[in-house]
Amino acid sequence: MRAKLGVTALALLFLAGLWLVAAPFVVGYQPRGTALTAATVNDLWIGGALAGGSFLGLAWYAADLLHELTTRRGKLRRTG
Amino acid sequence: MIRKFVGAVLAALAAMAGFWLMVAPFALGTQPEGATWNSATTTEFFTGLGVAAVGLAGAAAFAAAIHAELAARGLVTVRERQREPEPAAPQTSSAELAALLAPLVEALREDLDATDRERRQNGSTTLVASEDKR
Repeated sequence: MRAKLGVTALALLFLAGLWLVAAPFVVGYQPRGTALTAATVNDLWIGGALAGGSFLGLAWYAADLLHELTTRRGKLRRTG
Repeated sequence: MIRKFVGAVLAALAAMAGFWLMVAPFALGTQPEGATWNSATTTEFFTGLGVAAVGLAGAAAFAAAIHAELAARGLVTVRERQREPEPAAPQTSSAELAALLAPLVEALREDLDATDRERRQNGSTTLVASEDKR
């Protein structure tokens, strides 16, 4: 149950990262056709890292869970 | 276990990123001092606040999950709350006391009966009877 809360938090952080990448253009504090402002660059770096990191975390979690399930099933077959 | 640890580390890093987002407009100088907050500052501050809160909650949740797994494997002892001392029960109940005293009462009764029989045989009277005769 607690781990599920953590996974939910990672999913929310992934969405927040995507929002941060899009925010300068959606909110409009990055003028089109001009050089990227300092705020935009900061948001892109932090948002990209947040989305990438949380995605990797979710992928790792899913892969490890899948590995555990297949290992258990293999042991059951060997013993049964 | 490892996946939960990785999740806890990532959530803690995200929380730190959230704190950075909250202070970034002031640290980078994109928010002029004394002026009302512009849209970039508002967006970054409140997004950072949410990221920090979710990151801290996620790290706490993963840490609790790790602790629960360690406790289930017996590697960590879970402290139980100390129970309040119950009021001390009486050491012996009235029934036990009666059972203990019963032989003593029986012995006293037999002794009194024997003394009374001896007095009757010797013709002696009790002190109360001699007083009544006076």
